Amino acid sequence: MSGLEHIGVQVVTAPQDGARSYVPALLREIEALLAELVASGRHGRIDLRSLPLLPGDDARLAALLGNGEVDAAIQAMGGTRVRETGVAGVWWVTHANADGETVAEFVEVTLVPEMLKTHPQDARTGLARLRERLAELTHEGETDG
Amino acid sequence: MADNQTVGETLASRGISRRTFLKFCATMTSLLALPPGMAEVMAETLARTRRQSVIWLSFQECTGCTESLTRSHSPTLESLLFDAISLDYHHTLQAAAGDAAERARVQAMQDNAGKYLVIVDGSIPLKDGGVYSTIAGHSNLDMLKETAAGAAAIIAVGTCATYGGLPHANPNPTGAVAVSDIIKDKPIVNVPGCPPIATVITGVVAHFLTLGTLPELDSLGRPKVFFGDTIHDRCYRRPFYDQGKFAKTFDDEGARSGWCLYELGCKGPTTHNACATVKWNGGTSFPIESGHPCLGCSEPNFWDAGSFYQALSAKTLPLSAHAGAALAVGAAAGVAVGLVSRAKKKAAARQHTRVSADDLEKGGGA
Amino acid sequence: MSGPELLLWARGTGLQIAVAIFLFGLLARFVELWLLGRKTDLSVARASAVGPGLRTVVSRSLPMPGALKQTPLVFLGGYVFHLGFLATLLFYVPHIHFLRSILGFGWPGLPPFLIDVIGLVTIATLIALLVQRFTDPVRRFLSRADDYVAWTVTFLPLLSGYVAFHRLGTDYTLMLALHILSVELLLIVIPFTKLMHMFTFALARWYNGAIAGRKGVRV
Repeated sequence: MSGLEHIGVQVVTAPQDGARSYVPALLREIEALLAELVASGRHGRIDLRSLPLLPGDDARLAALLGNGEVDAAIQAMGGTRVRETGVAGVWWVTHANADGETVAEFVEVTLVPEMLKTHPQDARTGLARLRERLAELTHEGETDG
Repeated sequence: MADNQTVGETLASRGISRRTFLKFCATMTSLLALPPGMAEVMAETLARTRRQSVIWLSFQECTGCTESLTRSHSPTLESLLFDAISLDYHHTLQAAAGDAAERARVQAMQDNAGKYLVIVDGSIPLKDGGVYSTIAGHSNLDMLKETAAGAAAIIAVGTCATYGGLPHANPNPTGAVAVSDIIKDKPIVNVPGCPPIATVITGVVAHFLTLGTLPELDSLGRPKVFFGDTIHDRCYRRPFYDQGKFAKTFDDEGARSGWCLYELGCKGPTTHNACATVKWNGGTSFPIESGHPCLGCSEPNFWDAGSFYQALSAKTLPLSAHAGAALAVGAAAGVAVGLVSRAKKKAAARQHTRVSADDLEKGGGA
Repeated sequence: MSGPELLLWARGTGLQIAVAIFLFGLLARFVELWLLGRKTDLSVARASAVGPGLRTVVSRSLPMPGALKQTPLVFLGGYVFHLGFLATLLFYVPHIHFLRSILGFGWPGLPPFLIDVIGLVTIATLIALLVQRFTDPVRRFLSRADDYVAWTVTFLPLLSGYVAFHRLGTDYTLMLALHILSVELLLIVIPFTKLMHMFTFALARWYNGAIAGRKGVRV
């Protein structure tokens, strides 16, 4: 929304004393899912929004997992970032809306996340569109010269 | 106008890729607390289904619920819901007007008999034959009964439709009631809130579209996935409540440090809603996080539940009149009983027989 | 009635009814007491009755010598229960706000975890006192319905408050409503049972002191 970013708002979070980080338990779950992937090829997904994470926990988890070789930016009604972490097979998927706000966040344990793949239906639509373009080009070619 | 396209065909015709739709479904599964793997299932299932016919009835309302849904911070992602449904009737969003609109509604009801979804916002006034809110000459009551007859399910959106809301508040001049007070023979989901969180409305509809069923409901007909916890249960300021650190005014040191807002009137402990987790405006914030106590807007009769700025434990109705009357009547009763007791005492004293020492010495005397 | 409806009624009409009956009963009892009066003491007063009377109201808060040895449970339990009950009632922040809405002023409260501990100890003490009333043959013989009713209406607010505080039970809103209703029950029962001692204790102590003082006893 235009104009809102000009309002000088500073978010101050109150210090949370005595709360326990969820990250060690999360890492164990990721380990279990990755072991499953390696053994049987079954992929898993963890919804980070469904967990009672403390402020800073997601940053801590991301830092522990590190960065990998793949960092893909998808434009689908807002940005989506698909990043392989430093642990191969463990991907971090962040969905944002058109205003750049995160609407969903997942840790996916898989060989390649669904969001990166082209859907067969989209491929069919793409083929139809390509054939249209080719038909146009052929038609132009015929009318030239 | 109802059409026979599948959702997938509609998406293709609007140039929306299946990848984008998968992103929408992933967001929905996260919101509905469904297993994350359900995203692909939801996307595939929805793409194959015919667009669900939805009739939206707006009664005695302020249009805030529609505004919440359509002004949601990411109109593009949320609006994908409108691609998955066929919104056959909606006062604010439809292009048609007048008789054409009413005909469209009746046509949709006939074409999709037994299968269309009805969404209702606003309360239904009953007083004086329901004359206080009419559409095209029909009272809301008649339109609701007529439209609900062939519906698969009804979603009551907003506190007005679920509990009567603001019009129902004391003295309820129009005789406003909730949807569930009128319709007794159809499954009804209550999605209260003034307004409800947009993504909650979307989530409930998405659940019905994908799984064909309504989500699990609590005793007040609300989806447990969104209304199972109270604000207090999930409030990030709970540590301050537990430690007894309360803000006393809106501007004091406690308020600036983000302390608990109980003393300023927060109704969080008795309010069931998803504000503390799902939050508002695309997850930006919710009232307590912005420093304002919870109003309790998703609970019945929250308008009559005492001041928004007095603690939950405070009394809601004045006591002085009752107290005054009670003291007066009590004093009168006390005087009456007291005089009777005194009279009894005197009567008992008069019946005392005089006994002398001689009488007693004679043994076995009076 | 649903939880929210019951809570609304308890906070509004229920409280009005309870306070009305409470005040009606209180005033009726006191006016009757005053009208019944006492026989005029025809002897010549040896000293003022006022000072000793007032002093006795305070001094009887301390136990008579030998009480601990005679009835340790009643002695200790009595203090623990009364102080605990008053502490949870007057120093728990939500209660202070309830009283503020009636009186127009409030006061600082105790930390909630402390109230929790005090409440639990008070509940346990009440149960212990009831068990003693039951198991001791003399006390059982002397006990009447009024005694058990008084115990119950005092116990229910403490128990329901503890249940609500800890979010036990099905639905917090319903538990809170039941807690407030139990307090309203206590209010309407007070004037018609021995629970009137919460007001008459001062009168009784006054008279004991005043009578002795008038006779010239140094109190």
